[in-house]
Amino acid sequence: MKRDTVSYEDLLGISACLALALAAHITSLPVWVLVTIGACGGIRLLLARRGLGVPPRGVRLIISAVAIALLFLRFRTFNGLAAGTALLALTAGLKLLETDTRRDIYVITLIIYFVSISALLEGESFLLLAYLIGVCWLTTATLLRLTTSRPAPPWPRSLRYAGRILSQALPLALVFWLFFPRLGGPLWQMPDEGGTATSGLSDSMSPGDINDLAMSDEIAFRVRFTTAPPPPQERYWRGPVMHDFDGHTWRRSYPLSAGVPALTDEGPAYRYTLSLEPHAHNWIFALDWPSHWDLPHGTLNGDYTLVQPDPVSRPIDVTATSYTRVQSTEPLSEPLRRRDLALPNKSNPRTRQLAQDMHSAHPEAMDYVRSVLAMFTEQPFYYTLTPPKLADDSVDEFLFDTRRGFCGHYASAFAALMRAAGIPAHVVTGYQGGTFNRFADYWILRQSDAHAWDEIWIEGRGWLRIDPTSAIAPERVERGLSDTVSADQHLVSRWQRRTPWLADTRLRLDALRELWRERILLFNQDSQQHLLELLGIPEPDGEKLVIVLAVMLTLGLIWLTWQVRRELDPARKEQVIRAYARLCEKLAALGLARAPHEGAEAYAARIAERRPDLGRAVGELCRQYSSLRYAPADARVTVAQFAAAVRAFRPGPA
Amino acid sequence: MRVNLRQATFDRISAWAARRHGRDSLPIRISRRRVYILPTRFGIMLALTLVAMLIAGLNYNSNLGLAFAFLMVSIAMVTMHHCNRNLLGLQVDAATEADAFAGTAANLEFLLQNDSTVDRRDVEIVCMTGSGTRSVLARSNESVQVVVPANVRGIVRIAQFALRTRYPFGWFHAWTYVQGALTVYIAPSPQGNRTLPSAGGQGSAARSEARGDEDFSGLRAYEPGVPLKHMAWKVLARGGEAAVRSYTGLAAQPEWLEWSALEGLDAESRLSQLCLWVLESEAAQRPYGLRIPGREIAPARGAAHRCLCLRALAGHGIAEPS
Repeated sequence: MKRDTVSYEDLLGISACLALALAAHITSLPVWVLVTIGACGGIRLLLARRGLGVPPRGVRLIISAVAIALLFLRFRTFNGLAAGTALLALTAGLKLLETDTRRDIYVITLIIYFVSISALLEGESFLLLAYLIGVCWLTTATLLRLTTSRPAPPWPRSLRYAGRILSQALPLALVFWLFFPRLGGPLWQMPDEGGTATSGLSDSMSPGDINDLAMSDEIAFRVRFTTAPPPPQERYWRGPVMHDFDGHTWRRSYPLSAGVPALTDEGPAYRYTLSLEPHAHNWIFALDWPSHWDLPHGTLNGDYTLVQPDPVSRPIDVTATSYTRVQSTEPLSEPLRRRDLALPNKSNPRTRQLAQDMHSAHPEAMDYVRSVLAMFTEQPFYYTLTPPKLADDSVDEFLFDTRRGFCGHYASAFAALMRAAGIPAHVVTGYQGGTFNRFADYWILRQSDAHAWDEIWIEGRGWLRIDPTSAIAPERVERGLSDTVSADQHLVSRWQRRTPWLADTRLRLDALRELWRERILLFNQDSQQHLLELLGIPEPDGEKLVIVLAVMLTLGLIWLTWQVRRELDPARKEQVIRAYARLCEKLAALGLARAPHEGAEAYAARIAERRPDLGRAVGELCRQYSSLRYAPADARVTVAQFAAAVRAFRPGPA
Repeated sequence: MRVNLRQATFDRISAWAARRHGRDSLPIRISRRRVYILPTRFGIMLALTLVAMLIAGLNYNSNLGLAFAFLMVSIAMVTMHHCNRNLLGLQVDAATEADAFAGTAANLEFLLQNDSTVDRRDVEIVCMTGSGTRSVLARSNESVQVVVPANVRGIVRIAQFALRTRYPFGWFHAWTYVQGALTVYIAPSPQGNRTLPSAGGQGSAARSEARGDEDFSGLRAYEPGVPLKHMAWKVLARGGEAAVRSYTGLAAQPEWLEWSALEGLDAESRLSQLCLWVLESEAAQRPYGLRIPGREIAPARGAAHRCLCLRALAGHGIAEPS
């Protein structure tokens, strides 16, 4: 078999494609993997530039062994998306190093295709999909050049041909995508990689934590109400509840689900669909307090927070019903009461002293609560997103020294004051408020809407929500966080307020994103059944779906066959002849009919003689006709262009 | 083992195709019914990759991943159609006869005619062990030379040749068989040490030498079989083309090149010697006739006559094709 040695240009093309595909992974691949691949490609290109072959076998083996060993040490597995992608990418790089014949490159093209899809498995954006389809196009064009005999045709022609194949493939791909039966769940569980969600609420809260979130514009979830939305002061979205306090940080507690008092719903019911973005935990941020939901494995934990067994690793939709007011007539069990009264003995002495003083002045629980809130309102407590740092006795320092903070500080201090006075209390974290998208009728909850508030236990009434932050700046509760932040702290939002059209554009874009999410990312078995119903198929099921897929594919293939064969003779030749006949008719109408024996050029010459004004135009058309019919491939016009030119030709009478 | 299996498969398909289509009359236009297509090894690798992509998309329940996987599957399907189209409607013609000397190679010539508006890239013609690849642009013709080794004197009859292509991408292998009868006449290798007989069957070397110097008429290009003494050595030494001095006046009497004149040689050696004589006589531009058992060719001169004689030598002892 003859060896088809690879050229510098071949290597350059495939290296560029590989680099473009890897660019989609740039944030998830370890830097040294990228560097290794880059080095391999670079070395091979340099060698090829100088007309040299591959490095010696021994060198290649050592590099491969070291790289793969390092990879294993880093990931401890080759299973899972990140490790698998890294391994594939590394293989492509190493293969590049030993690429000698064009056949070696074939493997690299397959790896590029796979690397592209692995970026999409956990990706969500339309732009990413479009980008990778672009990479696929370029790779396919490069492959085309690799597999044709040399000299390869010019790049634009290769790109055009690959683009043509791609465009003919798109309708078929759409049919597959719409009708290929989706699975209910994964075929097998892949190791969870975590770390896909970069921000969001966490297991613990120290005063100052939510600050990081306040600066993040990332979307946490979207909500579409099917009933009227609750008033702003009741839009609390419940996340993890913090019970354990060490004097500085609040943490979630060990699970206690026994003896949790049952809640009785009160007031109006709110129905809504929550479209949750992935995050690192299993909380579903339902409206406080959730009562029904359609999540298969969703349950309420002992904190009345809606959870599912696994972390929310991909976008989900949950339809739920909540009541913003609840009551509980059952008593709080002893372990729960103890948990929500615990205060570390030695910490925050001044706070404890303050609580005892105030409690003896207001022995009734609700009076005491009111007096504490009044303290926040009347004394110079400030709301700021850039509070001073607090040391160990965070509550003491906050209440007596700094007096500057945001929701976390106030919720933490309030809960400590309650516990010190013997009132069970805990901190609830979640989201509050939201932005209404009037273009698509839903609410957007961003990370900057993260919030912390308190719940206290009042005997005979149950858990009562108190938001001490609202005592400082009441408008803070009614609108979003960004509205209360002073201008210099949040330049972007100030800019947005000044340019309302920009905010509108942002909302419109988000509406598009939501549509993409709802229609494309969350397309599933239900959507397919709905689609079949739209096609007029009664009682759709999996079997009917397969039949529809087969029928649609057959139609698609018939269309494809027609598309592909259309370009062959003789239909196109007839098109040329028809267009020419039309030209002759137009001229015959002027009394310049073509004689049966007359060839195109003789005819053009005769017309030029009789009607010098038409001579040029007719001469050009006849030349085009001759070249399309008789000249080899180098005709400068296409059949369609010629037909259009004939159509546009409108000779007037002399 | 794998290669053998592959070869065996292709052989069976080719035999089946021969039965199915019967004898073709050249030129033929390649129709849909006779183009076969199978994935290549690269195509099978692609298929495995596609299956892995689909499983990944389904397992991660990723609609975007699936969209990409389906796009790749569709690209493969479209490519299959394009590969098939690369042969469809192509018109094929072949020179049905070719000549060669034993120990050299025969050049078979094929003509591909593309009437359509699409380019046909990398169409390969496979004939016995030889093959030739050409791209035929839209509305143009190309001729393809296929070199077939000619090892043994005789007549080689080729009942079938194939057109195949892997364009585009090399994922599929589309091919078609043409049942066109091609004949390659392999003349004996021209060699021997007997001198060329003169008219009347007597030795003529002295006479031809004596007369040769008188009637020098010019130079012509070298061809095998010219007596060494007629070589224009001076021209060659000056760095020119190998040339031969040409003589007039030697063409008068026809000579008979006879099988029976070569006593003491075996059959193949006699044929080789006769072959050399044919070439020498032709080079000397002297009329000659050929007499071998079962065949007699009347004296004449020229390319057609030379060809007739060589084919007679090639076919000695072998039944002529009908």
